[in-house]
Amino acid sequence: MLKELGRGMWTTLRSMFEKPVTIEYPEVKRPVRARFKGRHELKRYDNGLEKCIGCSLCAAACPADAIFVEAAENTDEVRFSPGERYASTYEINMLRCIFCGYCEDACPTEAIVLGDNYELSFTDRRQAIYPKEMLLEPVRGEGKTTPQKTEPGEFIRSIPLMENPKD
Amino acid sequence: MLAEKYPLETQNILAKYPPDQKRSAVMPLLYLAQRESGYVTKAAMQDIAALCEMSVTEVASIVGFYSLYYDKPAGKYRVQVCTDLPCALRGADEFLSKLCENLGIKVGETTPDGLVTVEAVMCLAGCDKAPMFQTQSSEGITYHENQTIESALEVIDAWRQQEKQA
Amino acid sequence: MTKLVSLTIDGKQVTVPEGTLFVDAAKRVGIDIPVFCYHPKMEPVGMCRMCLVDVGRPMIDRATGQPVMDENGAPKIQFGAKLDTACTTPVSEGMVVIGASDKVKAARKDIVEFILTSHPLDCPVCDKGGECPLQNLTMAYGPGETRFLYDDKLHLAKQVPLGELIYLDRERCIQCGRCVRFQDEIVDDPVIGFFNRGRSLEIVTHSDPGFDSVFSGNTTDICPVGALTTADFRFGARPWELKSTSSICSQCPVGCNITFNVRREAASGGKTVIKRVMPRQNETVNEIWICDKGRFGYHYTESDDRLTTPLIRKNGELTPASWDEALGLVASRFSAAGEGLLTLGSGRLSNEDLFNLRQLTEGVKGKAALYTHMAGGDLTAQVGVAPGTDFGEMGKGTAILVAASDLYEEAPIWFLRIKQAAERGATLIVANARPTKLEAYASHVIRYRYGAEAETIAAMTVDRGPTTVAGHPSSVADASKAFAEAENAVILFGSDGLGLEGSQALSAACANLLVATRHVGRANNGLVGVWSRANDQGAWDMGLRPLTVDRRPELQSAKAIYVVAADPFGDDPGLLATFNLQPATFLVVQDLFLTETARRADVVLPAQAFTEREGAYTSGERRVQRFYPAAPARPDTWPDFAITAQIAQKMGSILEGRVPAAVFTQIAATVAAYAGLSYRKLAETNDQWPSVGSGVRRKGLYFSGTAYENKQGVGIHLPLSPTPLPPVNMQSFHLQGEGLLAVPVTCLYDRGQTVYPSALLHQRIGEVWVALHPADAERLGVVANSRVSLTLGGAEFDATARLDESVPQGVALIPRSMGIPINGPEAVEIRAGERVVL
Repeated sequence: MLKELGRGMWTTLRSMFEKPVTIEYPEVKRPVRARFKGRHELKRYDNGLEKCIGCSLCAAACPADAIFVEAAENTDEVRFSPGERYASTYEINMLRCIFCGYCEDACPTEAIVLGDNYELSFTDRRQAIYPKEMLLEPVRGEGKTTPQKTEPGEFIRSIPLMENPKD
Repeated sequence: MLAEKYPLETQNILAKYPPDQKRSAVMPLLYLAQRESGYVTKAAMQDIAALCEMSVTEVASIVGFYSLYYDKPAGKYRVQVCTDLPCALRGADEFLSKLCENLGIKVGETTPDGLVTVEAVMCLAGCDKAPMFQTQSSEGITYHENQTIESALEVIDAWRQQEKQA
Repeated sequence: MTKLVSLTIDGKQVTVPEGTLFVDAAKRVGIDIPVFCYHPKMEPVGMCRMCLVDVGRPMIDRATGQPVMDENGAPKIQFGAKLDTACTTPVSEGMVVIGASDKVKAARKDIVEFILTSHPLDCPVCDKGGECPLQNLTMAYGPGETRFLYDDKLHLAKQVPLGELIYLDRERCIQCGRCVRFQDEIVDDPVIGFFNRGRSLEIVTHSDPGFDSVFSGNTTDICPVGALTTADFRFGARPWELKSTSSICSQCPVGCNITFNVRREAASGGKTVIKRVMPRQNETVNEIWICDKGRFGYHYTESDDRLTTPLIRKNGELTPASWDEALGLVASRFSAAGEGLLTLGSGRLSNEDLFNLRQLTEGVKGKAALYTHMAGGDLTAQVGVAPGTDFGEMGKGTAILVAASDLYEEAPIWFLRIKQAAERGATLIVANARPTKLEAYASHVIRYRYGAEAETIAAMTVDRGPTTVAGHPSSVADASKAFAEAENAVILFGSDGLGLEGSQALSAACANLLVATRHVGRANNGLVGVWSRANDQGAWDMGLRPLTVDRRPELQSAKAIYVVAADPFGDDPGLLATFNLQPATFLVVQDLFLTETARRADVVLPAQAFTEREGAYTSGERRVQRFYPAAPARPDTWPDFAITAQIAQKMGSILEGRVPAAVFTQIAATVAAYAGLSYRKLAETNDQWPSVGSGVRRKGLYFSGTAYENKQGVGIHLPLSPTPLPPVNMQSFHLQGEGLLAVPVTCLYDRGQTVYPSALLHQRIGEVWVALHPADAERLGVVANSRVSLTLGGAEFDATARLDESVPQGVALIPRSMGIPINGPEAVEIRAGERVVL
């Protein structure tokens, strides 16, 4: 009996000198894996135009029916994305989302990407619906924000042109 | 108005077809209209549509279908080089590019003086005498066969002379 | 009787009439042969080559002429060296067709690869994506990858407006020609055409305005790719996100079956809104087509100008009030009015609404009347077309008389179906005072002067001989002979240039002609009214009668007037005087909008649009059809029948006001012609050919386009009234007056409240116009397209003058519902204005 007790005390004593497995979240954050699927981001091209063309395929692929997209027509005066169509409304209900990443797979322009952010919290159901303004990534580098005024004939295609295989 | 400008010709053309088949007259009427300005104008299409009791769109479709009708203005002489396979085998492509080079224009363009438009066309049934081209102008259609770049330029020079004299 | 032939398609034994094409024969037994250019409603052209099949024919011994037998005693089949197009090859006895061999599959794979060489594959942004035959057939038969170079793809214009209603994407076009053929073959409006050849082929329009046809929207349904899309639905939603509801078009008496596609939308503040209107298949009514008015004219139901709350006049101003207050006031005044209650309902209402209106009115011994400018609905109930009537069946042996109606403008789908009947050999007689589009297909054209409509038709009853009757053109004699001798005969009468009195005389003349020639009581025989509203026939059936001159005196004493879905003062300011409206008269208006009449009302009650509720309309052919609620109702509005029932309740009588089906049950119990009908019966469907694309089974998407399957009822044709036909007294009617005579005509796109809120149509509606003969114009000093002012019924109006040689001299055509109130022919004075409109 004493032997068992001693073994138990030893285990306790030993763990006192081990490195702790817990981290001091939120001061310390554990890096996520490369294929982690966190909060969505809507990407932009380098020139600042939105990659999203409002095709709704993400909404169609979504098994949780968490995405709502509404499209409208671009003009050269008021342009959000290349081509004729852009998402005038883009909403993801984060309470419904199961972070499966099907939306990423369905996207023809690689506009929606599941990022690294997992810190989603809300105090109200309405807050759980992330509108386009929250999802769009900020403009980087030389890019301009949308809507942009563009030259006629410059951005006529929603989907980048297909190219011949290079090999 | 076509009918007012060429009353006799229009009447003669229309007289060839039964009154309930007026649309048959569309082809000769289009030729008549094209002779006027080198191409079929929108106004001419409307005139012909009214004469033949067709819709303007139908008349335009015919202009679009036949390669000898034009709906856009071009040079006084259209030089149409055949580039189909038999001609290509006898150097039509090279002939065409040299011709363009000499005239300083690209295929489909018109020389700055508005005299010559060079076009590449499909078979003109002159395969045995390639390279060849046809010219189309208000004087009608002429074939020029067994051509070299020199002989072709001679033809064009002759037009230039003629133009100067006129 | 056509000969039947038997053949084998993919191992299935098929027996079809001789001359049937393979594609159709296969489709009838459930075998899909993929097609792009073929359409079951059009002649085959064999352009796309997608339908290639292996065809074997029985081998014939040349010496004996007998089929060669193999060792088993079965006829030996010889297959062709090459594949045949299933869409252009008619069946013959003993044929064997293989649509699934490796050879066929390889061929189809290549065809898809070819078709996709220059297709942009921008399905994610394409409005057709999700209901696209090219997408589906590529998935089913395509190669998956191409051997062609992407660099060689043609890059063409992606945004070419063919007019303001239809957009063309040149890259997506696969040159099947369905749209061009539809406009040419089916509609005969060849306003779009091919331009250039080969890879440079493109669709063009040279009409003004572009794509000038009232059927243009149908080309977007049959386009097998997303090359043609409507401006209305452009990027509106993806097809799979839409919910669909069956309905009936409320724009004209044809009663086209339609489907509303709705979606909840952030752009509309989270409301569920109608995104598009699609045809719903009903082969006996509209086949798979609808006109552009039906397709684009629905926007009024979503207008911001709709009434949203009851209004009561307080201190001379209409002020918002509660329903309870408004209904209480109305009920007390109606009860007080008693016999002095006059109810005016229009054909915009459903049968249920009209029934309740009449019940309420008769409960206090008031008078219920139909607001219309056209009479004859009692006659169509007696000598109308009998059940089984189908314009699609009419051909040789049938005579169709169209009297005083410009069908292209008034009821485009009837125009289409009658034109097709004429092309199948029906004798078409068009009687009108001015040329109309339908005359191009007529075997007899009767031209009369305005005012002589009834007289002319009456002359047809008499004129049977070859001799000419004095005062009538010889065409009358010929036409009446053809009409009398036809096996079946139908008359469609309208109100081109006619008011109530004129159309009453005309309808009587038409009824007499049908009775005299024994063209009554049978299918494909009888009288059809080309009414101005969707449910005018239903209103007649519900017992409402128009306010003819002889009825007016008794109505001038009205103490309270209940106007529902009508705008008499907007249409005819002179009515005020006619009614001798006292300031004490209590006026209640129940409508969608604050109309001219509503502005004068003491109480205004907001009703629901037909898209927000259930009901049933009776079409001009007397087919009762149900419509279903598509969009959620505006808060604080009620359907018309419910409002009426609530007024009745406050007056102490019980009317059904909750369930329209229950009102309809009462109709079935009360109105003889509707006996035995119920909502369930109206919802019955039958198998229809050809199968269409959208809906439950989606079997025919590639075959006949995106029209919706009919799953919620094809409607029921009413039997004729069993009461024996009383001899109709044709009151002769003569126009009086000298100088210029204004006559009302109907045009498809007008400024009416159920059309004008569709901004998309404004360009087609145009300015208020008046049409004159050039000779009259010259006499008056009026130049083409100049502003003129006209005096009509004591009031002054401005309009643009159109000069048209087809307008009879001495007459000015004035379109109805365009801003100049005109109910019937009357004298007009026209003066040239100064401003010239270019």
